[in-house]
Amino acid sequence: MKKLVSVLIAIACIVVVLGPVAQAAERQFSRSWLWDPNAVKMMDTSKYKKEPPYVIGFSNASISNSWRVFFAREVQAEVEKQKDLIKKFYITDAQDKPDKQIADTEDLVAKGIDLLIISAATSAALDPIVTRVYKQGIPVVCADRRVTSENFDSFVTSSSYAMGRMQMLWLCQMLKGKGNIVMLPGLAGAGPAEERITGGKEVLSQFPGVKLLDLQYTSWSPSEGKRIMAALIQSYGKKIDGVWADSGLQGSGAIEALVEAGMKVPITGDHLNAYLTRVQKYEFPAMSIGFPVKMGAESVTTALKILQGIPVPFIVNVTREVVTTVDTVDVKSDLPWDEWARPDWPADWWIDNTLPEHWLPK
Amino acid sequence: MSVGRSYVEIREAVSLKDSFEKYGIYIFLILLFAFASLVSPAFLKPQNLRDVLNQAAALGIVSIGQTFVILTGRGGLDLSVASVMATVAVIVAKNTGGQDALLFPVAMVCLLFGILVGLANGLLITKRRVPPFMATLGMMIIIQGFRFLYTKGAPKGDFPMFLRFLGRGNIGPVPTSVISLAILTVIAAIVLKKTVFGRQLYAIGGNINTAHLSGYNTDRIITLTYIISGFTAAIAGLYLAGWIGIADNWVGKGYELDSIAAVVMGGTSFEGGRGGVLGTIAGVLIIMMLYNLVLLLHLPVQVQYIVKGAVIILAASFYVRRAIR
Repeated sequence: MKKLVSVLIAIACIVVVLGPVAQAAERQFSRSWLWDPNAVKMMDTSKYKKEPPYVIGFSNASISNSWRVFFAREVQAEVEKQKDLIKKFYITDAQDKPDKQIADTEDLVAKGIDLLIISAATSAALDPIVTRVYKQGIPVVCADRRVTSENFDSFVTSSSYAMGRMQMLWLCQMLKGKGNIVMLPGLAGAGPAEERITGGKEVLSQFPGVKLLDLQYTSWSPSEGKRIMAALIQSYGKKIDGVWADSGLQGSGAIEALVEAGMKVPITGDHLNAYLTRVQKYEFPAMSIGFPVKMGAESVTTALKILQGIPVPFIVNVTREVVTTVDTVDVKSDLPWDEWARPDWPADWWIDNTLPEHWLPK
Repeated sequence: MSVGRSYVEIREAVSLKDSFEKYGIYIFLILLFAFASLVSPAFLKPQNLRDVLNQAAALGIVSIGQTFVILTGRGGLDLSVASVMATVAVIVAKNTGGQDALLFPVAMVCLLFGILVGLANGLLITKRRVPPFMATLGMMIIIQGFRFLYTKGAPKGDFPMFLRFLGRGNIGPVPTSVISLAILTVIAAIVLKKTVFGRQLYAIGGNINTAHLSGYNTDRIITLTYIISGFTAAIAGLYLAGWIGIADNWVGKGYELDSIAAVVMGGTSFEGGRGGVLGTIAGVLIIMMLYNLVLLLHLPVQVQYIVKGAVIILAASFYVRRAIR
């Protein structure tokens, strides 16, 4: 009995000691960051080093769509996980209004935060206040949406250019470099939408046999996606050989229109469950690449590193999964589509979330 | 110099002008249809026409209710309709989970919800004298808040197959949703033209004081128009959800303004008491055809806003001349 107890204690000790190590080994570094051919700009954060626990403020642009809801919950779940290091965590919601976010941010500073995390409603309007906070000596982490200047310590994101490129590369290779495509980007003028178009077109230019028939903004709306795709089908008919959609939001709507027209062509999107499950149900050749909601969690870990004086990359490129129903030479699936899509989950959920059960929006 | 003109001549000129103004919307609709057929070979394809009509159905249904409200005059309008539509869509998705058997009871709850919202709007406007713009704007925001609390930002569930059939299916060559729109339009036209309620509504829109002095219960009639608007918005929400097939927090986004635009384009005046539901349907078809045409002509989709805005202003200025005269 005594022996058993001591063995158990020994095992417990090993688990306690090795636990964090195992966790660290599990942590994935983004491939695009690791493979960046240039030296990654690392920020010296020793000047911010402080004894925990910390007071952190999170100025959020909004929770007006399900991506933003999951993103905000990723932040909160990570804060809960790190509660030993964090004394207080203030969250504000600017409801997509830049002026409200400026006031929110001022409030947070007045509350005496040690660090500011901000997801800026617009990059230009929030720049002056972020610059002021940064110049005051309060470290700043931009999450998901940055400000125009470089007056912050780290930007936690996942490259939209890379996203557009990967989507277009898969599509063009699926068509074996020959055919006609349409592009259905998101919201006209929104940073991620425009960057994905740019990335997509860079790759498209390398496939002279692939012709872009039309490009129409869909405002990241399933109904706009369906409506626009239906009209494009009437306009170009069977000439359309592939659909580049930067997100599953309009992608899922576009699939509806294609199904109703009896067409099945390769399509791209991201990890919205509505899109993933529709691809599965109608057996479309498809590709999906994430714009990970877990950049919410990553912004908290980055913030904590800064306050502990550990250097952080100026741009944190969060790891993302690529999933396809058919692989091409350059774009391979990280795991089978059927394991990724979750028919038992709500359509509006983001599959690449890392939320614990009790943080899922139920 | 016009002294020599006979009375009959003048009357004829006026009535010609009158009828041109009365039927202008239909003439414009026909011209637009002809223009679309000429410039885009894809426009007349049966599937394209079906697409346009299918998309017009939900806007048409919600615009019917909007017509009733705007007919009351003195700034009557309902900004809460799009919020009702989206809320109905998430209620159906969550509570049916895609099962046909649950559709009927849940749809009843949705219609009741629309009616209650309309009742609240109506009471605020008649009993508390809140301007319709403010009352329905406030209601829109309140419902939006409740919707986000209810869905926690991420709506769940799926739509029953029968609802999908209503939203995007066909009976023979005709979309189901168009048949429903036609039936509702006929009912609305009969209610407006043939019933006591309809006549009283036009009277209120014409001159509320006279209507009041005539012994009409103006408050009740105005409240009833908001109830009708909430009710049709709920129906429209069901159809639009069936058409899209994806539970989304923003089903029907923009329909509050599109429906008002359709009503005004269709000749129902903001001063109230003039217009009707047929003109509204013509307005709806114009909006949807413009949208379709922009895409068929391979113009950027944003162009539709410019064209739509121009047509609204054109229509409004057209009717204002009539009102002044």
